Amino acid sequence: MIRVAFALARREFVRFMRQPHRVIGTVAQPILFWLFLGSGFNASFHAPGMNGVSYLQYFYPGVMLMMMLFASIFSSITIIEDRDAGFLQSVLVAPVSRMAIVLGKVMGGVSIAMVQTLIFTIAAPFLGMPLGLPSLGLLILAYVLSSAGFAAMGFFFAWTMRTSSGFHAIMMVFLMPLWMLSGALFPLENAPGWLHAVMIINPVSHALVLMRGPFYSAPAQLFADHRWLLALGVTLVWDAVFLLGSMARVQRREKGAPA
Amino acid sequence: MIQIENLTHVYPASRKTPARTAINSLTLTVEEGQFCILSGPNGSGKSTLFRILCGMSLPSAGTIRIAGHDLFKEPGKARAEMGVVFQSPAVDKHLTVGENLRLHADLYGLSASVYAERLAEAMAWTDLKDRLNDKVDTLSGGLARQVELAKALLTRPRLLLLDEPTTGLDPASRRNFIDALHKIQRERRMTVLMTSHIFSEAEDADRVAIMKAGNLLAFDSPQNLRGRLGREMVVLQSRGAVVLEGRIRADLHLKTRRHGDEIRLEETDNGASLPILEKLLATFRDDIDSIAIKQPALEDVFIHLTGLQKSDTSENGEVQ
Ligand SMILES: Nc1ncnc2c1ncn2[C@@H]1O[C@H](COP(=O)(O)OP(=O)(O)OP(=O)(O)O)[C@@H](O)[C@H]1O
Ligand SMILES: [Mg+2]
Repeated sequence: MIRVAFALARREFVRFMRQPHRVIGTVAQPILFWLFLGSGFNASFHAPGMNGVSYLQYFYPGVMLMMMLFASIFSSITIIEDRDAGFLQSVLVAPVSRMAIVLGKVMGGVSIAMVQTLIFTIAAPFLGMPLGLPSLGLLILAYVLSSAGFAAMGFFFAWTMRTSSGFHAIMMVFLMPLWMLSGALFPLENAPGWLHAVMIINPVSHALVLMRGPFYSAPAQLFADHRWLLALGVTLVWDAVFLLGSMARVQRREKGAPA
Repeated sequence: MIQIENLTHVYPASRKTPARTAINSLTLTVEEGQFCILSGPNGSGKSTLFRILCGMSLPSAGTIRIAGHDLFKEPGKARAEMGVVFQSPAVDKHLTVGENLRLHADLYGLSASVYAERLAEAMAWTDLKDRLNDKVDTLSGGLARQVELAKALLTRPRLLLLDEPTTGLDPASRRNFIDALHKIQRERRMTVLMTSHIFSEAEDADRVAIMKAGNLLAFDSPQNLRGRLGREMVVLQSRGAVVLEGRIRADLHLKTRRHGDEIRLEETDNGASLPILEKLLATFRDDIDSIAIKQPALEDVFIHLTGLQKSDTSENGEVQ
């Protein structure tokens, strides 16, 4: 199963690298966004409990999250292309486990998201947020786990979609609010109570906690921090739910009505 | 190799369309090593049967065994025995020929050495040797089809399913494709089930199945099917075919069948065609645009069998 998943993931990655506009677009957009917004807000920013953190620094993991989120989710859009182009049918008739089909797509999406996010990580030391090797390792773990969850969620919704514009529309309606209310744009500590409640159930905010942690705390501290551990747990559950849900969708075969 | 029993498939009703029976309790057995063509008019249920056979959809009722495995209970085992060539392309156009083949080998779990061997085999019968590093979307239609077939054969399936694999090919490429397929089928004693509308492709098959509206009308060897029609027939074209047909029946007391502008006198005994043709010419010369004696081909059998209930076809000669 792993071999099949790897072969399918490699295909995703090769395809992605052969489309330079996809590579450039997904890397350039969040960087520009971050530079413009970040420099605009910088002076007036003061995060509670985070003295000496500039807005550029605060916003940095949020942008990283946004990149990862969008790259992961929209990598699943290729299912719709695969179906249209006929490639999917040859995968479906192969004697491969249906989970391998899901994992192939998800791992492909994760690797694509990783390239972009890792390039972006190079900026961290220049922002005065140097990362030690163990922290970098934890950061990568955070990337992979949250990216897999979102890629699997994209897979789950894209599976039954017939057009990529439909998928785009639905995902934007879902994602933008989730991202904005995740604490990526502004701290939610002094937000009204309802927003707080949204944050607790919002998987994007848990992913953000997971990714932001390694920038501010040492790995040992993180493993003692219940807020971070909770985020880790939620993200793992999120991964499992959408991987299994997607597999169930792939497994379902179109069925004739009772005669 | 394939045992289909009482297979029925009903497409569920939707808001706009009523439920539709695409396959109606079909029973069919394809023996190991046979080359079998599945034919039938548009909408007769061929593609539906094909999708069920390759395990993409589940029927309303009935069973299918592939190489002894129940297709619906053990889809994995049945899938491992078969190769599938779809009507539409099923390769990744953005990858090269070699990358596509490699990916397919990975999906079926071939080891690197087996893959190398099978690749060499494929290069021997295809024209792809110099094109392995080219992207599939730069290939001609004929070469792209070769990739599909090479891919399906890579795993040495015991059963090969093909859905109208030659649509869109010019006659020469189509010939190449079919010849290669026949050659490999004989060498490997592989079972082949292929849907096709092209009767020249069916002439060298072991069995031809003809479907209409979800029912199996005939399943026999090409020779036997041809034998169902008389040995030869007289075929004539006329712009006033409707009127002329009535007059042939009334004046000459001959059985006729009409398809549009064409009138056929199918049940002529051997050697009787020429006198009939002469009589027709003598009587109706001015109404006839062209006339000929034809040896029945599979296509004629197809038209005969599938035309039986068609509204455009009259059967006056037989009914009255
Ligand atoms: N997805 C579907 N939903 C509802 N009805 C369908 C569906 N697919 C096919 N049908 C109907 O089932 C019947 C059989 O269709 P099918 O595609 O199997 O025919 P076919 O023999 O492959 O025809 P063709 O020669 O045109 O390819 C047709 O009446 C068709 O309208
Ligand atoms: Mg069809």
